[in-house]
Amino acid sequence: MSGFALPSATLLSQSVLSGIFVGALYGLLGLGLSLSWGLLRLINLAHFAFAFLAAYLCYQMAAFGVDPLLSLAVLVPLFFSIGAALHWLMARFSVTPFNSLLLTFGLTGIIEAIIQTIWTADFRKLESVYGEHKFKIGVLYVPVPELITLVLAVALSFAVWAVLRYTDLGKAMRAAAEDAPIASAFGVNQKRNALLLAGTCAALASVAGVCLALSFTLAPSQMYAWIGVVFAAVMLGGLGRALGPLVAGTLIGVSEAITMAVTSPSWAPIVSFSLLIAILVLRPGRAT
Amino acid sequence: MKSGHVKSGTMKRTPLIILAAGIALAFVPKLGLPAFYDSLLYLMLHWIVLATSWNILSGYTGYFSFGHGAFFGAGLYTTSTLLARYDWPFLATLPVAALVAAVLGVALGAVVFRVKGVRGELFALLTLAITFVIGTIVVNTPLDGGQGVSLSAVPVPAIGPTQSSTFYLLALAAATLTMLTAWGIYVSKFGAGLFAIHDDEDAAEVMGVPTYRYKLVALAISCALAGVAGGIHAMFLSYVTVGEVFTITVPLTVVLMSVLGGSRHWAGPAIGAVAITALLYSFTAANHAIAGKAMVGVILIAAILFMPDGILLRLQALFKRAPKLAPGTAHPPSKIATPSGTPSAPPSTAASGDVLLRVRGLQKSFKGVRALAGVDVDVRRGEILGLLGPNGSGKSTFINVVSGHYVPTAGEIVFEGRDLGGLAAHRIAGAGIARTYQIPRPFAHMSVLDNVALATMFGGAVGDPAEARKRAMTWLEFTGLHGKAAARPDDLNLHQRKFLELARALASRPRLVLLDEVLCGLTPSEIDDAVALIRRIRDQGSTIVFVEHVMRAVMALTDRVVVFNHGELLAEGSATEVMQRAAVMTAYLGKAHVVLPTPQAAHA
Amino acid sequence: MLELHDLQVAYGAAPALWGVSLQVRTGELLCVVGPNGAGKTTLINAIAGIQRTRAGRILFEGRDITALPPHRFCEAGIAIVPEGRRLFTGMSVLENLELGSYLPAAKTQRKQSLEAALALFPVLKEKLASRAGELSGGQQQMVAIARALMARPRLLLLDEPSLGLSPRIVHDMFAAIRRINAEGMSVLLVEQNVVMAMEVSSRAYVLEEGRIVADGAPDDLLARPEIQRAYLGV
Repeated sequence: MSGFALPSATLLSQSVLSGIFVGALYGLLGLGLSLSWGLLRLINLAHFAFAFLAAYLCYQMAAFGVDPLLSLAVLVPLFFSIGAALHWLMARFSVTPFNSLLLTFGLTGIIEAIIQTIWTADFRKLESVYGEHKFKIGVLYVPVPELITLVLAVALSFAVWAVLRYTDLGKAMRAAAEDAPIASAFGVNQKRNALLLAGTCAALASVAGVCLALSFTLAPSQMYAWIGVVFAAVMLGGLGRALGPLVAGTLIGVSEAITMAVTSPSWAPIVSFSLLIAILVLRPGRAT
Repeated sequence: MKSGHVKSGTMKRTPLIILAAGIALAFVPKLGLPAFYDSLLYLMLHWIVLATSWNILSGYTGYFSFGHGAFFGAGLYTTSTLLARYDWPFLATLPVAALVAAVLGVALGAVVFRVKGVRGELFALLTLAITFVIGTIVVNTPLDGGQGVSLSAVPVPAIGPTQSSTFYLLALAAATLTMLTAWGIYVSKFGAGLFAIHDDEDAAEVMGVPTYRYKLVALAISCALAGVAGGIHAMFLSYVTVGEVFTITVPLTVVLMSVLGGSRHWAGPAIGAVAITALLYSFTAANHAIAGKAMVGVILIAAILFMPDGILLRLQALFKRAPKLAPGTAHPPSKIATPSGTPSAPPSTAASGDVLLRVRGLQKSFKGVRALAGVDVDVRRGEILGLLGPNGSGKSTFINVVSGHYVPTAGEIVFEGRDLGGLAAHRIAGAGIARTYQIPRPFAHMSVLDNVALATMFGGAVGDPAEARKRAMTWLEFTGLHGKAAARPDDLNLHQRKFLELARALASRPRLVLLDEVLCGLTPSEIDDAVALIRRIRDQGSTIVFVEHVMRAVMALTDRVVVFNHGELLAEGSATEVMQRAAVMTAYLGKAHVVLPTPQAAHA
Repeated sequence: MLELHDLQVAYGAAPALWGVSLQVRTGELLCVVGPNGAGKTTLINAIAGIQRTRAGRILFEGRDITALPPHRFCEAGIAIVPEGRRLFTGMSVLENLELGSYLPAAKTQRKQSLEAALALFPVLKEKLASRAGELSGGQQQMVAIARALMARPRLLLLDEPSLGLSPRIVHDMFAAIRRINAEGMSVLLVEQNVVMAMEVSSRAYVLEEGRIVADGAPDDLLARPEIQRAYLGV
């Protein structure tokens, strides 16, 4: 383990940049989770499994010659349906928020098993035309897949934010999250809206999955590595806030990157988890 | 489910059965089974320890922790470090492992349990985060250093004929100890308190359960046992890494086992542990480890959807005969004698004069809204005082503050000469004040009898659960509910639930009883029953303050009333006199309406 | 316009309404009074579709709406001002009002409805962008009433609008309610504050312990012993 070593300015800025990129992915992964937890009161641990399943499917389609970004045309509607179906099931059995955590963990195990059966536990790397390119801004390298992730994360976060903020549907969802009976007294069909939202969250997971496939090597066990840090981003950003995960994710990503550059990579997890603990102990009200 | 259904004979028998099973199983190594079975059995016992110890905190109190991996890991690394670095003898490391894990747990719990908002899923996430933080620290310091710790050079004590049987025997000892502990807590007063915390922590606190202390003790015991399991497992693995231990796998597995088997029972997790281990092992042995994982997922989902209470309770419900009810249901209270041992004061309608409770300048604000704006109230010993006032006037807030449910913003509360300001609710209960809730808050998973027994144990300071249940029965007779002793609160109608609230309040033998709208929702004849009961409560020595809207009850029962309005005291005096004052009429009706005919002569 | 036939509501094992029957005629301002715990909120919530009923029927403009899902009651022409306001406190005042006119029929007239609401409660003009949770009790009550009006209902339900408000604001509130009724809106008002309620309404029912015990013109009722006994016990 190396001690503290102050890196050069170039190295530091490259670290910050890669922190921004990975933070954008945290944000994209966290977006669906945050919406589900904040507006639907359901904690969907299977969100990560959905993302990885989408990543593997994207990888598979690429093997058949389908451009990864094009595969979204298939993956998004597919996962939308899966997400809505899962929500329907949980609503039907009146699953409590805590039990939704357990249930979706079970689902995660099942999906992991499916992935491992089809694609084995070997590492898989998607070779795409995007991965081969990177360009340079000044002294900094900007890899194209990571840039795509950043663009998608920002675009989708702002799109969701705009819908929640400005459209009647978004306002209806926010109102129903606060006081569902009164919202329905004014005509809001929360049952239908919830299915819509659950489907959207899963669709967002699938987009994150494609980004994962573009930038990272895939292995089934890798699912679990993201859980902690994404939950930290979600809670830090405030539940149900569309821009929250993105901002918080970027913050965490950059802090981690700097920590890694200054000390050693194995210390990085401590940043997000300590933040998570701090929020929970100091301001638990923020997180509900 | 809970100890309420355990007869005293079984109480002595169960620990003997556990011990006997433990001793019997100790002879298994003599059978000379292949090592495969030794490992399987070891793992089953290992998971029995982990799941049962987890359940002592999380299943009993409802604080589902996802941090069991951290304490298990603490034990694991304590043993590894002591063995590899300091050449300790193996068995001596186990108590140290337990201690380290327990200290870690208590240190964390001392901080986390103080924060009121952290319950449920937040507590789960917090404990998970702690696991990863500790894991990261361990991997980056000389404790592990990223290389893991190798124990292959350490000699394994020769307790059994083979090495694998030694581990089996150690795990057997740990499992027996754990099961005995889990059972012992389950049937004790401590356990009753933990289950009360599970059902309704705030109500438990108000009834006298020292919730903070109890949670810490449960956590300490849970961690200590996990630490021992960790210590043993270190030697079993003989090569220890962070990735095995400080992850989400351990806590999720124990959660699954406990939920499946039934987390409200001391033996539930053990059943879940045996079932899941057998299942996973058989899949692994057949080279279908992946399918095993999927199977576990399917089972968990099925359990959550169809058996949220676990297998054990479902089986119990199937095989248990309907609890025998005493002939007839609640008969009218007037036929029931007062419980023995209480001073039978001559029925008096006049208060004895000395002040039991003195409240001065009491204020309570919530986020800028002043619910109580500085009230002065004296409650005299032996009287029945009515607290009246329109909606939102501060009456319920007053009760909540005096009973300790809320902390006052300012002002003084002196009870029997003792200053109660700022005391924890369970201490106020211990001081001799009891309350009922407007919307009854019984502990839903306990029988009616156990609900009252809990109050006897904690408010009334009776240590032995069996004794407490006997006394609780007399209170049930007093309120006419003895026919429903074995029923669950959900099976009672509103009237019976209100009487259960009363029985619970009385079971702690309070000198002051605070009743919060106990009559609301009752039919006229039920109100008559309740009024008679309240009178009898006063007659056997308690002072009563009650918030009420049902005016005829107020007229019939009270010696004095005080009227609240907008958080302040508006009027005080005898009921009939006060209700005719213009200011009071305005507060209730909106305006002192001059067209109202003169009231009829007040009925006594 | 509204007819309740033998309505029964129970919370689990505990009955709250025991066969309540009443009528609201088109254009009238009807009030239901009764002491705390009588079941007034249960009654209003049942009419608004928020509370499921055990038995009995709700007929609105001749149509049986009893079995409709909760979110369809507003469509039928009923809007509620709930007890305790129950605004969406995290959202702005304007957003609360917009949610009142969530349904398509109301949405097309959103602009006019908003103007009319602000004309009725001019104080809200400067508060449109504020978070609803930051307003005073009286202002919140105004927002709650305005929100219901935005739905363009034909029947307005008000549940204890005077609760927790100072007498002067209560006076203004009831003046506004009278004005709303004068413009043709049918109103069902549930109140604990008997005198104020009686002053604005043309007809009243007295609800006690889940049953209607009296009905008629306000002045007649005030003179009767039922009200005194129910409220004051004398």
